[in-house]
Amino acid sequence: MENLSMLMHGFSVVLTFENVLVCLIGALLGLVVGAMPGIGSLAGVALLLPLTYKFNPTTAIIMLGALYYSNMFGGAFSAILLNIPGDSPAVMTALDGYPMATTRKRPGQALFVSNMSSCIGGIIGMLILTFMGPLLADIGLKFGPAEMTVLLLVAMTSIGWLVGSNPTNGVILTFVGILLASVGMDLQTGSPRYNFGNIYLLGGIKFIPFVIGAVGFAQVMRLMDERNDKTESQITEKLTYKNSLPTKHDFKRLLFPALRTGFVGTFVGVLPGAGATTASFLGYAMQRAFKSEDPLGTGAIEGIAACEAANNAAAAGAFAPLLALGIPGSGTGAVLLGGLMMWGLNPGPLLFTNEPDFAWGLIASLFLANLFALSIALGVIPVLIKILTVPVKIIIPVIISVCLVGSYSDTYSFYGVLIMLIAGVFGYIFEKSGYGTAPMLLSFVLAPLLEDNLRKAFVISGGSVAKVFFNGPISIGLTIAFCAIVSAPIIRLILKKAGLLKPKKAN
Amino acid sequence: MKKVLSIVALIAMIALPVFAEGSTESKSSAGFVPTKDVEWTCTSKPGGGSDIFTQQIKDAMKVNGISDANVVVSYVTDGGGEVGRLQVAMTPKAKADHTILTFNSGDLMPMCANTDNRVENFTPLAIMAVDKQLLFIGEHSKYASWQEILDALKAGQKIVIAGSKGDDIETYNALIKELGVTEAQLAFITNDATSGAITSLLGGHVDLCMSKPAAASQYVEAGKMTAVLALSTSRFTADKLKDAPTLSEFGYNNVEVPVWRGVVGPKEMSAEAAAYWVACLEAVSKTAEWNEYITKNGLISDFIGGADAVAYMTQYQKDYLAKIGK
Repeated sequence: MENLSMLMHGFSVVLTFENVLVCLIGALLGLVVGAMPGIGSLAGVALLLPLTYKFNPTTAIIMLGALYYSNMFGGAFSAILLNIPGDSPAVMTALDGYPMATTRKRPGQALFVSNMSSCIGGIIGMLILTFMGPLLADIGLKFGPAEMTVLLLVAMTSIGWLVGSNPTNGVILTFVGILLASVGMDLQTGSPRYNFGNIYLLGGIKFIPFVIGAVGFAQVMRLMDERNDKTESQITEKLTYKNSLPTKHDFKRLLFPALRTGFVGTFVGVLPGAGATTASFLGYAMQRAFKSEDPLGTGAIEGIAACEAANNAAAAGAFAPLLALGIPGSGTGAVLLGGLMMWGLNPGPLLFTNEPDFAWGLIASLFLANLFALSIALGVIPVLIKILTVPVKIIIPVIISVCLVGSYSDTYSFYGVLIMLIAGVFGYIFEKSGYGTAPMLLSFVLAPLLEDNLRKAFVISGGSVAKVFFNGPISIGLTIAFCAIVSAPIIRLILKKAGLLKPKKAN
Repeated sequence: MKKVLSIVALIAMIALPVFAEGSTESKSSAGFVPTKDVEWTCTSKPGGGSDIFTQQIKDAMKVNGISDANVVVSYVTDGGGEVGRLQVAMTPKAKADHTILTFNSGDLMPMCANTDNRVENFTPLAIMAVDKQLLFIGEHSKYASWQEILDALKAGQKIVIAGSKGDDIETYNALIKELGVTEAQLAFITNDATSGAITSLLGGHVDLCMSKPAAASQYVEAGKMTAVLALSTSRFTADKLKDAPTLSEFGYNNVEVPVWRGVVGPKEMSAEAAAYWVACLEAVSKTAEWNEYITKNGLISDFIGGADAVAYMTQYQKDYLAKIGK
């Protein structure tokens, strides 16, 4: 109950004209920044941070918190409408969002589902943060390198769902993703790997230009390839606000996946270094275990809801270690931490005690930002869906510009543009040859996290495998889950062959 | 004659403030004054330690009227910062006087280890501050003191330290060399930032955490971390850190790998411009804003400018290259 009264106190801090205004500005900027591929919350917060140095710290964090949070709403726009994931969590949103917008010709509903799920996931995350913030942070601490290794292995299994009808191709591209992710500095020793003497490659291949190229630019090339066949847009029907609204049935379909992954997402957001991307991958993988009306990957509402709710919940959950312990859960968290120090606050275990106005004001502002972001996002849907009615000959140069600007703004150099172009060409060739690029993108994101944690775990355990996978109750539980996920298809196959299991229609 | 003298006196009086202004300027500039925007390169992302350091100097210069130059901070993080450092090193003469780089010991080490770029390709301007590390235990640690850790090591038990990159790895290497133990006995896990190392310690996944005073201060104050060893030639003076002994108190040589934060210009920077920037940075080191920054971050204010900075950085590089066998 004390937390509730503190939250009310937080609202009294936030609900001043100035703070509401900066929260609104933050939410608006976050949506814009999130919708622009390549900018992302990290760059958005980093760019805005110097402007807030002269603000009062509470006002400044309200603005940046709102920007960070609403960015998660915006990330889905380009993923759904253009098939360009604006940031890494949106990779999963694109898997169902884009087919729903184009193949199923329901772009408005896809955006509605994404925004509503984001809002539900966010509210769950914020409620958990309000009532269990410090406790949650302590649970997060229990996840050391060994526990994170097994958790990431579980997340890696989601790749299995994406390999499609040709598992060999999927596995090959998974390894390509792992190989590309290993370019740059060795995480533990700091020595260069696979940089071939190139100074740019010392910093590794940047994810944002890579994903923009492999998905967005590859799609431009595909559109150009098909240009002779069709010059009109994929959607010729008139798109109105009314026929973009989700039905009651749609809402029912999104509710349970969003609620489920909201809890999982919050928890993953708390874990050190895991962040919204892992949350969205796990949320999507988890949805596989539940019933979806349409098969996942073909424009299923459940797919969009699962990953969007998870990544927004994770964004809220990530504030728990930041506020309760002063530990940033993500790159953006690290920038916010830098901001706290700039504003003269000492982030750490004493923040809630020493600066209650600040900490609770921030939490209250997240609730407000959630509402602002949802209202703005729903308001702009009628305008946004018009993108899909733009003829192909116009949309091609538009997407190329978005790809160029997005990849440049991630690194502020042509290195990013070059990565984007190369990834685009290869992405196109892969797609054309029947190799879907999703497994490659997933392994690219997860492999460095897995490698880092695995190597740390082995240093701690002195090379003992048992001490990594059976380190404690958390490790053991996750190892059992991992074994179950990996062995389930094999067991099912054996049972089917033995005639003990009837062949089931695939999900 | 009287008339002439009075005119001279009048001119002198009018000119005095002008010259007075100019004399401070000339003391610092020796003829150079920035005439265009100054590009200050920072090879880390905005909001990081290097950025805060850069912004503090920039603000202190502006607020105290030390330099009217319009300083634009640009973040070049490609290639782990190596691209930014190379760009500054290769800046042509025409731009060199208006180009500055934030350069720390943590930048010098990977630069020397992984590239052919060297301090000789820059004009070192100043070392602004020095930082040193300590080893901390967590509140639920198995060990209560450094003596207990030494005993555990002698008994063949394995101890794990979590730390950050660059300077921390160097300090760790110096420590195991001095203690005469292997990497397997006293292991080290590298984190992207000290916050990751602190997370591992608070979660009880490692025995010790290596950190500079600033990153650990809040945790020490909250009783979640306790300093058990000062990696320094003398004990720290801060209240919560002064109880941490140095290695010499246990019969070993002290281990100290000073972590410095400095500023350099391109090799082509003119002597006049270098003198101007050294004077500006020295003036910054005496401002109240700078001292507040130093105190808040638990740093040691140690201004070394001009030729002394060149000698310091060159020697540091020489020692480091010898250490890694290059």
